[in-house]
Amino acid sequence: MIKMDAVLVGFGTVGQGVAEAIQMKDQLFVDRFGEGIRIVAAFDSNTYAASKKGLNPTELVRTKVGKGNIGKKRPETIPEMLSRLDYDVLVEMTPTNIVDAKPGIDHIKAALNAGRDVVTSNKGPLALKFREISKLAAKNKCNLRFEASVGGATPVINLASELLRCERISSIRGIMNGTCNYILSRMESEGLPWEPALREAQQLGYAETDPSYDIDGIDTACKVAILANAIMGNDVTVHDVERTGIRGVNLEAVTLAAQDKKVIRLIGEITEKGVEVAPRLIPRGHPLSISGTLNTFHIQTDLAGEIIVAGRGAGRHETASAVMSDLWVIMRTKEPNSHSS
Amino acid sequence: MRVNVDLRLKDVPGQLIGALEPVSRNDGNIVGVVHSHDKVSAGRIGVNLTFEVSSEMNLDKIMNEWTARGVDILKIDHLFETFHLEYVIVGTVSANEMKRITDGIQALGGVESLNVRYSVSSSDEKTALISGKVRSKDVIKKANHFMRERSKRSGFLMIRGFGD
Repeated sequence: MIKMDAVLVGFGTVGQGVAEAIQMKDQLFVDRFGEGIRIVAAFDSNTYAASKKGLNPTELVRTKVGKGNIGKKRPETIPEMLSRLDYDVLVEMTPTNIVDAKPGIDHIKAALNAGRDVVTSNKGPLALKFREISKLAAKNKCNLRFEASVGGATPVINLASELLRCERISSIRGIMNGTCNYILSRMESEGLPWEPALREAQQLGYAETDPSYDIDGIDTACKVAILANAIMGNDVTVHDVERTGIRGVNLEAVTLAAQDKKVIRLIGEITEKGVEVAPRLIPRGHPLSISGTLNTFHIQTDLAGEIIVAGRGAGRHETASAVMSDLWVIMRTKEPNSHSS
Repeated sequence: MRVNVDLRLKDVPGQLIGALEPVSRNDGNIVGVVHSHDKVSAGRIGVNLTFEVSSEMNLDKIMNEWTARGVDILKIDHLFETFHLEYVIVGTVSANEMKRITDGIQALGGVESLNVRYSVSSSDEKTALISGKVRSKDVIKKANHFMRERSKRSGFLMIRGFGD
């Protein structure tokens, strides 16, 4: 029987999705490991709930939705409270901050320093302090997993870093931001100018009120930095990524590209030459000419050649799917005679 | 790759079309045809043909079809692979700046062709597609570097192709 006591930090859309997925997939874990995942504490930005016997995930979500919080006001910082909790894995899902990676970086370091495994969807610590936290995880013999940080439900990190271990990967190119892809696709298919296409994306909830994080390529640059570090063995931060967003791509540009049988897509690229985010002219029919909000990754390897993987890049249950797969892998590493490394 | 061939055809109607058909049937793209009606020798006339073809295999198929049709192949030369160079630029780009851009790309060498197509716009902002063919990926690399520098200096948005 494998025990997995989890602390969830961050209880917004992703946190609630993970709580729901833990409930939904409980039997699957019980069947394989003898026990399901038990949530022993959960934190949102101001409040927390904790129980050594385990919290009811459905109740947690219901309380958060109904009251706007998940329990009592937090008397101390989350790292201070983590130091007094007994748990196996921290699931860190606070919002990405690419200025100083806080508060996520503090939560992750607190868990790793205490010898706990970490699963995170938070791009900030990975895009700014990847080497620091991966070294800390290795030093303390902890798992640090972050599939949910890139591509949502699309399993690109685990695919490339585990299943393609014998390959020499020479490049990864991808559509890593569904918002930008939606805007560019709508400009192309409906002849919408930039502003209406952006407004439509905002109305559908794909783009934030301040869309600069997506359309200026910052989100894609974070993902490029994470993939470069995790898969290509680089040592880069988001600030090392050469970045051009899609602000300024007008309908005339989309139309001229279409006359040449091309589409414009925001492409994140990791090659031996460097790391870059830029709008590119993609031939129609190429896997990266895909329309809509899907994320797509094109991996070039020496033995297997081209590998393409696509999936939903964001969303409550899509991101939870990636977190659950990381939790599953961690539980497998706890099994006797595990060969997971 | 781009291929230039000298052919000899029977000087009877329909022979030229018969010589061009194998090219288009094998995904070739005819770039130019020079038909020398004035140079008739032993009942045959000379045709110089330039075309692009995607692979050696398709070129072999074209040549086999010519041989089967009784077309004489006198000379094949200037075989080289071409690569597509493409940029869309968006911004207030003056005519002088556009000339600097096209002259700058031409000056890199190895540029087979270069075309500029503008989008009609009522504003000062211009959108243009610069496309061309070059002889090596190294030329694309140099052109990318040149375009990046110009886009930074002149403040236009540059969207480059995927051929590098």
